[in-house]
Amino acid sequence: MKPSLFAIAIGLAASWWAVLPAADLSSSAGHNNHPEWAGFFDITPQVHEGEHYVPSHPGPFDPVNPNLDELVQAHLKPWALEKMKETNGLADDLGAVCQSSGIFRYPTSAGSFLWLPEKDEILMISKDINVAGVRRIYMNRNHPKNPSPSWLGDSVGRWEGDTLVVDTVSFNDKTWLSYGMEPHSEELHVIERVRKAAPDRMEIQTFVEDRETLTSPYTFTRFYKQNGTESPEHLCNAEPGEMRQWSAWRNTALKAESAGTAK
Amino acid sequence: MMLGLSTGRMLPPWQIFCIVLLISEGFGEGQTIPAAGGHPDLTGVYQSIPQGVTLPGGLKNSGDPSGVALQPSAIEQLKKVDLKEDAARLCLPVGPFRMMARNKTKIELAPGPGTLVMLFEDIAHGNMRTIHLARTHPAKVASSWMGDSTGKWEGDTFVIDTVGFDERIWLNEKGAQHSDAFHLVERIRVLVEGKVLEYRVTAEDPKVLKQPYTYTRIFQKLDTEIMDDFCEVKE
Repeated sequence: MKPSLFAIAIGLAASWWAVLPAADLSSSAGHNNHPEWAGFFDITPQVHEGEHYVPSHPGPFDPVNPNLDELVQAHLKPWALEKMKETNGLADDLGAVCQSSGIFRYPTSAGSFLWLPEKDEILMISKDINVAGVRRIYMNRNHPKNPSPSWLGDSVGRWEGDTLVVDTVSFNDKTWLSYGMEPHSEELHVIERVRKAAPDRMEIQTFVEDRETLTSPYTFTRFYKQNGTESPEHLCNAEPGEMRQWSAWRNTALKAESAGTAK
Repeated sequence: MMLGLSTGRMLPPWQIFCIVLLISEGFGEGQTIPAAGGHPDLTGVYQSIPQGVTLPGGLKNSGDPSGVALQPSAIEQLKKVDLKEDAARLCLPVGPFRMMARNKTKIELAPGPGTLVMLFEDIAHGNMRTIHLARTHPAKVASSWMGDSTGKWEGDTFVIDTVGFDERIWLNEKGAQHSDAFHLVERIRVLVEGKVLEYRVTAEDPKVLKQPYTYTRIFQKLDTEIMDDFCEVKE
């Protein structure tokens, strides 16, 4: 049976009156996670991996602590520095074959992502999705009591005024703090403060602590320019032949490493 | 008598009458969830049921990309295909036609700005699909892994039209290739009060297929979160 328009109109009016005090009517999308921020963001100015960034035109959106390698290595404990030096950048680095490289490398260098605020979560979908994946910032819960370590950790968010504070724990120890093969432990704890520094500019200030790996916490900041709601797809090593070649190189390096260990 | 709702605010009798009238006339009686614009709300995490399982109402999977009937020239082309180049083996996207058919595929649907975004737990093979709600296909579509997708509602069915796949996308694991005429139409019907999606996809390619091919997958809504699941290339 279909309802009459009269019944719908009156019923909706009554229902609306009843729920109005609890409903969030501050946005068209029906939630208060700044739906107007939805869209693609690109890091700017570009910070090239493994290079010292020198701003040619200093401005308000230049990165703070642009050389992440230098920053991280100044905070590594001796054992972590040793491990960094011993790590084979090809054999031991999944990032070399376009697999997960953690939450620091891609977003701080070539970083480009789709920001999608939803009612209960905010999605941060990296354009190189096979490398940096999808970060889910849960707005409706705390960290689980017994979380399983994962590549991107467990992120929960809360608003402090117009700043989104993202708290992330439960990382596995398979990724790196930067491009220089700087290790971290499962104790890694990241707090990001996300805000609009200008109408088209997102600022992400990142605080990193890891009592197992670091002598003290450190902080860096990057800026991202909002670039519309559509962006061509992009993948790391998108050609099958290219991907196969990189995999072969990595496997060769792994075999060489294994042979060296056996001697 | 007053009725208390979850807001803690009490309703006067005339409003209770109106709500009762609304319910008695059948509002909410159907199998869909009313949402903004009068269409069902697709937001959520879903997983396809295993092969061989039948849900109440006879809902079950049928067909598979391996069932496409190729024209003789396409069969001949298969002999030249190096299966080592299969994207599925290399942590690269396999395209929607293969991805949606995979066993127990887990997806997340999220509304974006003028779009519906489809994410996969198997990130490497599924990648991300952006289904445009506010535009048609461009006159000249640049080919891509995921193609160019547009979506619209036809009653309680969400219809996705996709063209512009590039040649790295295969029709199935046997290496069946497609032409520039490859075209997908996916029809997603919302059932059982939003707890189930019936997904039917039809592949057309008059240059490669003898006739259009359709398969069906049944997805159940989950009350769990999608985990990060990265792929590792194996030789």
